[in-house]
Amino acid sequence: MNAYAVKKNVSSDKIIVADDMMLTVDMPTTAGSKMLDGYMSLLESEALTRLKAEGYVLGGKADVGEFAIDLLGETSSRGALFADGALKNAAAQIVASGEASAAICLDANGSVRRAAAQSGLISLKPTYGTVSRYGVIPVACSGDTVSILADNTDTCGNIIDVIAGHDAKDGTSLSDELCSKLKKSAEYSPVRRVALLTSMTDGIDADVKAKLDAAVEALTKSGVEVVSVENEIIASARPAWNVLMSAELCNNVSRYDGVKYGYRAQSFNGIDELYTNSRTEAFGDLLKTAIIFGSETLSTENYMKVYDKCLRVRRVIVEEFAKIFGEFDAILMPTCSSLSYTEEQIANNRHLAFEENFYTAPASISGLPAVVAGGVQLVGSAFTERALLTAAKIIAKEGR
Amino acid sequence: MERDTIRRLELLNQLRLTDSQKDDVMAFFAKREDDLKALEKIDTAETERMVHVMPIMTVVREDTVSQNFSREALQAGAPETDEGYWCVPKVVE
Repeated sequence: MNAYAVKKNVSSDKIIVADDMMLTVDMPTTAGSKMLDGYMSLLESEALTRLKAEGYVLGGKADVGEFAIDLLGETSSRGALFADGALKNAAAQIVASGEASAAICLDANGSVRRAAAQSGLISLKPTYGTVSRYGVIPVACSGDTVSILADNTDTCGNIIDVIAGHDAKDGTSLSDELCSKLKKSAEYSPVRRVALLTSMTDGIDADVKAKLDAAVEALTKSGVEVVSVENEIIASARPAWNVLMSAELCNNVSRYDGVKYGYRAQSFNGIDELYTNSRTEAFGDLLKTAIIFGSETLSTENYMKVYDKCLRVRRVIVEEFAKIFGEFDAILMPTCSSLSYTEEQIANNRHLAFEENFYTAPASISGLPAVVAGGVQLVGSAFTERALLTAAKIIAKEGR
Repeated sequence: MERDTIRRLELLNQLRLTDSQKDDVMAFFAKREDDLKALEKIDTAETERMVHVMPIMTVVREDTVSQNFSREALQAGAPETDEGYWCVPKVVE
């Protein structure tokens, strides 16, 4: 069962669903992991609390891949969700079916954006620090962003209007003054010039190419100038993000030890075996691989050579983005290489999420906002969500 | 990546991998090594580290209780408790 605990008899046009990275007090939160099977939190995600205060109703939870680092949810302890031979994301399925008007999800490694692109939905990954991470299971804290999935840009705009804002409970939360730039009332400059980042189109299939072409055509028809731009440095975000994400993940999941909460192995001999057996039995393969990789990048031997290098590469990438935004209002690029992943693809490459994030890592590592519409992705400079959503509306209308 | 290194990382992370998982990890590392070679081409000699992408300052706040939970509530999800304590196997013989 991939969408679970959906409350019945809820009548509201403001029904939302939360993915299973968002802590909820009246439903379990599992992060898609056997480690947290049945876990009931005492805390609630700040984003959900703010939405409830504005009349939104939490209709239920949607399953995620284990700690949200996979493609679309295939590593969940409940199993992958396939339909018509293609891998599906639970939150996107719920929103696409109309059971909820939107989903609030954690974008840690691009799964929300891939889900939007492959389901014909809209997603908004806001500027890092504008939506509180309080009450969200941490994965890669320096990039984790509470994001929105909906079937139209207006709903994304309405929800970000509610959830963006300073929260003293989150040490990385930005000031209300900065967050107010995301509000509906904020003035913004519309998108007039877009850079089509051709160095990010490597490996895309014909369907994705067609989506990009349709987006370019829609934008051009509406008077937006689209110019092809090459930038190999931004295209190198993936390996750097894989290092930073895995290192932070490795630290964040070290808290799961089978003592205070979560899964405990039935059989062990001594405290070390309790830890080892609990983690070995509860964690899935991709998570274990990422933990081992992240841990190695933080070792004495590799810290400066690998981890420190990636922190410096992050600054180089941010500076490259700034150069482009000196000339353009937004960057257009693919969200994924293909509009569907088959069961065979998943079986043949268990690390595909760490390759497919080629398209999502640039916005993750730089904390920039990204809106997915019509299967493609628009990335803007910080706090340009309103402008991106307006441009996305043009693409969604013409490109889907 | 050697098997000995994997064994060290297993111990460090309180994990135990099967032989097949070790092969999987080695394949993963092989791909990542190629990735890292690509990163070496980016000159970062004069570039400072960027830990936070936004201007985030260390948060200082009053040391006051803002949210309080009972011991029972905090331990409700624990695998094993006894009279308000978390239970673990005997550590000192």
